[in-house]
Amino acid sequence: MVNSTNEYNLLAPLLFPIALILGLIIAPGINSSDASILIVLSPLVAFPIILISGQIYNGNDKWKNNLKEGGIIAVSALLIPLLVSIWIIGDNISHTDGHSIITWLSDWIEFQVLEENYVLDQGRTLGIGVWIDSITLMLIFVASFLCFLICWFSMGYMNTDPINENRNHRFYAEFVLFAMGMFGMVLADNFLWLFIFWEIMGLCSYLLIGFYFWKESAAKAAKKAFLTTRVGDVFLMIGLFILYDIYDSLEFSVIFDDPSLQGTVDSTKLFWALLLMFVGAVGKSAQFPLHVWLPDAMEGPTPVSALIHAATMVNAGLYLVARMVPFVVTGDGYNGVEGLDDLGLIIAWIGGITAFMAASIAFVQNDIKKVLAYSTMSQLAYIFTGLGAAIWLYNNNHYYAGTIAFGASMFHLFNHAMAKGMLFMASGSVIHEVHHAHDHIHHENEDSDHHFDPQDMRNMGGLASKLPITATAMMIGSMSIIGIPLIGGFWSKEGIIAETWASFFYSEPIMLGPAILVLLTAGMTGFYMSRMWFMTFAGAPKSEVVNHVKENTPWIKEPLVILTLISAFSGILLSLFGVVDYLAGKSDHLSYKEIIYTLEHAFIPEDGKLMIIGWTTMFLSSIIGPIYASRVHGGPLNDDQKSNFLISWLVNLSGKFGKQDVSDLSKSSLANALQERLYIDDFYDWLISKTVIPFSHFSAWFDKNIIDGIIKQIESRSILSSLQIRKITTGKARDYILMTAVGMLSIFILAWGASR
Amino acid sequence: MIEPSWIAGLGVILFGIGLLGAFLHKNAIVVLMCIELMLNAANLNFVSAAMHYGDVSGWVFTAIAIAIAAAEVAIGLAILLSMYSTQETISLEAADILKN
Repeated sequence: MVNSTNEYNLLAPLLFPIALILGLIIAPGINSSDASILIVLSPLVAFPIILISGQIYNGNDKWKNNLKEGGIIAVSALLIPLLVSIWIIGDNISHTDGHSIITWLSDWIEFQVLEENYVLDQGRTLGIGVWIDSITLMLIFVASFLCFLICWFSMGYMNTDPINENRNHRFYAEFVLFAMGMFGMVLADNFLWLFIFWEIMGLCSYLLIGFYFWKESAAKAAKKAFLTTRVGDVFLMIGLFILYDIYDSLEFSVIFDDPSLQGTVDSTKLFWALLLMFVGAVGKSAQFPLHVWLPDAMEGPTPVSALIHAATMVNAGLYLVARMVPFVVTGDGYNGVEGLDDLGLIIAWIGGITAFMAASIAFVQNDIKKVLAYSTMSQLAYIFTGLGAAIWLYNNNHYYAGTIAFGASMFHLFNHAMAKGMLFMASGSVIHEVHHAHDHIHHENEDSDHHFDPQDMRNMGGLASKLPITATAMMIGSMSIIGIPLIGGFWSKEGIIAETWASFFYSEPIMLGPAILVLLTAGMTGFYMSRMWFMTFAGAPKSEVVNHVKENTPWIKEPLVILTLISAFSGILLSLFGVVDYLAGKSDHLSYKEIIYTLEHAFIPEDGKLMIIGWTTMFLSSIIGPIYASRVHGGPLNDDQKSNFLISWLVNLSGKFGKQDVSDLSKSSLANALQERLYIDDFYDWLISKTVIPFSHFSAWFDKNIIDGIIKQIESRSILSSLQIRKITTGKARDYILMTAVGMLSIFILAWGASR
Repeated sequence: MIEPSWIAGLGVILFGIGLLGAFLHKNAIVVLMCIELMLNAANLNFVSAAMHYGDVSGWVFTAIAIAIAAAEVAIGLAILLSMYSTQETISLEAADILKN
């Protein structure tokens, strides 16, 4: 660690965006939704500025120390979206008419369509606009808030690592470009712009995973991520084409105003459009069977994993599915769209399978980031299950249960994004400090052959005393993901599991599968998250590096502390204000509910069956899972080590449940299969080597021999003929004069002949 | 008063002489002179047309063409000089670098 001096005076440029936004708020005639264009514009402008000045000033001392190689510019550019989104939320959250506000900013493309009878229609317009409802408000806050905090975190994580030196401007430029994509996608008021920004995010994800492109594994992971999501995107595009065919428009306002229930819309067509769009969402959100890219994407820098592959981009798929829900709901008391039941069931099943599979693979991962990656997959799958259940419930006229399932899913998205973004940052802090400690002790002996993986949890243990803030943050984050009662994710996960079971109880036998899978996954989440925490922070140190770890990198602690508070308290606070109803569009503003009512609702629901499910979930996730994990990996710290009071109770508790040896179990064939990710990647490799690769070989042959052959024949023939023609040019002036004269004469003769 | 047609006829004869000379001679200076002959033949045509129509623009064009011809000769001679300095001849037989 070079220095840990106070660097906050570098943040002076942040005053500029603050002043700008305050000025806009005070200025008359500007309302918040007009200013929303700034959310997208500010990162868009910052992107070339950072990139170009990075190229010009690379290596310059001021650029490196005062501007953090572009980090300060990026943070300032990301503060504007954060402030504007808070302003928009402040304007809209209390209004009773705060739903689905559309601001039409400008026309983009105008065109006419040739209809079947060869007549042009009146013309259509694709516009640029902003769509604001409760989901947009929630997601824009999540996106801008996490972008800002993680960019802040990056200034500590990226700029103090010598391997990144003189490359950070590329990181920050791509970072803000990604932020633009995410903000744009959330605000878009039609599916076309949503798709465009969706692809921008895909590009940035590719660029940032491949940030260490000279490492072969990183380059491969970037390609894998890009191509796998591309598979989904093709389906999404086809789905959008079908949707356009149905509605002649991709505007939310047109599509959602024209509910399919009036019998004007072909429900089979609608089903296929939504199913194909769901495949796109599956690719983006890393669900089975397109999940293979997400674990490999951890090759990117940790802030990238935190932002793109945990907190924001992977939520894009969920957002898309959430936008499908209005197709089946218009209000209380109607009979749904025929055929869309199956869509809900498919979504729920995909979610259930992914949740269970990812959680089981997370059991055996030793890389701290891989555990979190599988956990991300598993939690996103929860949300998909909830959304699938919501679609089924709405479509079968269970309006009340549907709103809870939908609202809980969206709320889980919020809780998960906050907790997982923080968990990744905390893991980044662990990796960073362990890495530096390792460099520190091995600096003298210069044993460069020595291989040490700072991400491997088998090299850690006992870090609770060395990294108190990180350990606390990770504990709260893990609790939120596990769903320990009253903390963060508990409030939303209970709702998802309960409503998935509810749809089974409402006589839908096919729902039993996802319902059982998500219930089991709750317990498994408890195990693997606790296992990660105990392996990293509890017990005796597993390598000498741990003794040299210190927590003193600047910029890293503030985001962790802020997000710890949010993860710990936002769940219960927002629940008290009825956020589930708000997100589901049932109530149009947040309002305070009584604590007793909320607690009663969560712990003692009126339906006895749901109460049993709820208590089973709590029992599995917060008692069975953690206790088993502590038996395997827990243990008190060494005697001379002390940790702070927030985490010491957990460390000491983890040693109380005895020890269990699992070395036999870890050698079993099941553990082996889990290590190999259930052979799904191998299967894809085999499948590709049998289908795509032979086809590409054939294409290469065709290109080389047929297409190139034709071109080469044309080329060689024209060379031959030009050799013949060349002989006419003798180079003698008199021949040229003769030719000119003959030519002139013939023109005259022709003209003379023509004039007669 | 000379008939305009006579002048036009003289122009045709001059043009033919110039064209034949440009064909048949190897010496670049003679060819240049022949080109001048053809240019003046064209000038004579302008003059005859101007007389025939009683329009002054023909005279004006002639004056301009003579000025341009002077400039053109200067350039032509310069080319010939530089050709002589590199190739030590001004025979057009030798100037065949555009061949093939």
